[in-house]
Amino acid sequence: MISPNSMVTPDQLVRVVQTMAPEINVKETCYGCLAESDAKTMAAVMKKVREQYGNEVFSKVRGYPVGDPRRCRAQHGTRPGFAQLEAEWETLPLIQSALDAIDAGDTAYVAPVEKKPLPVKDLKQISEAYR
Amino acid sequence: MKIFIDPPNSMILFDLVERFGHEPLSSMALIQEKVDNIEVDMPPMNVTLDDVVKGLKYAGVEVPSGIRGRLAIWGPMIEAADAAIIIENPPFSFGCVGCDRSNELTKYRIKRRGIPALTVQYPSSEEEAKTMVGQIKDFLGGLKE
Repeated sequence: MISPNSMVTPDQLVRVVQTMAPEINVKETCYGCLAESDAKTMAAVMKKVREQYGNEVFSKVRGYPVGDPRRCRAQHGTRPGFAQLEAEWETLPLIQSALDAIDAGDTAYVAPVEKKPLPVKDLKQISEAYR
Repeated sequence: MKIFIDPPNSMILFDLVERFGHEPLSSMALIQEKVDNIEVDMPPMNVTLDDVVKGLKYAGVEVPSGIRGRLAIWGPMIEAADAAIIIENPPFSFGCVGCDRSNELTKYRIKRRGIPALTVQYPSSEEEAKTMVGQIKDFLGGLKE
């Protein structure tokens, strides 16, 4: 899946991925592409994609094969996966910028404050202060 | 190392874990095995009787079958995991994580197994994203075989 901040188009991505390995099945989609091959080939392809596109392209394993009639819209499939992808698609530019910052050597971040339950003694003090 | 991700269908977590050199355990990979091995029909038919029986190990018989069905898939992954990363409060419509009781049981199973676990938040700003990615990088970098 291509980050919304990227200037890469699905068409460009498909053409590049197609040339990365023999015997790979690639399908263009509105958000990037689906690629299908054996696990070893896919690992090699993903390595090459990350080298070429850095933090602009994200990936995950897909449950169903490319063009599966139970899922593919072209064959009136149910296509529930896109709603899931869309939920995280909006966050990808933020993740991309964070990864870019780490690659640039900026590894500092603000550690989140750990929330702890309020001790009864403190709660009592607060309550009494407003009595 | 094998990292259980929660939400188990999260692309962000799957990608980050793989990017930082570990093996993510996701529900997609398990569904893929099912789709490849046995013929699965439309979504309501995805859970087989065997799965529901398998789920009994992780959720009692009085627990709704939807939770048991989910845990039949997530439970073995938690058992196989060396560590876990959890994103708090995913959108409720985010696929299989719409059931809060299943999410609570999943977190409980992770805690009970005693494996190293990191809890992060979905980011809403660049600073928060830096915190999330930085935490995940440090957590995965600090894991030892």
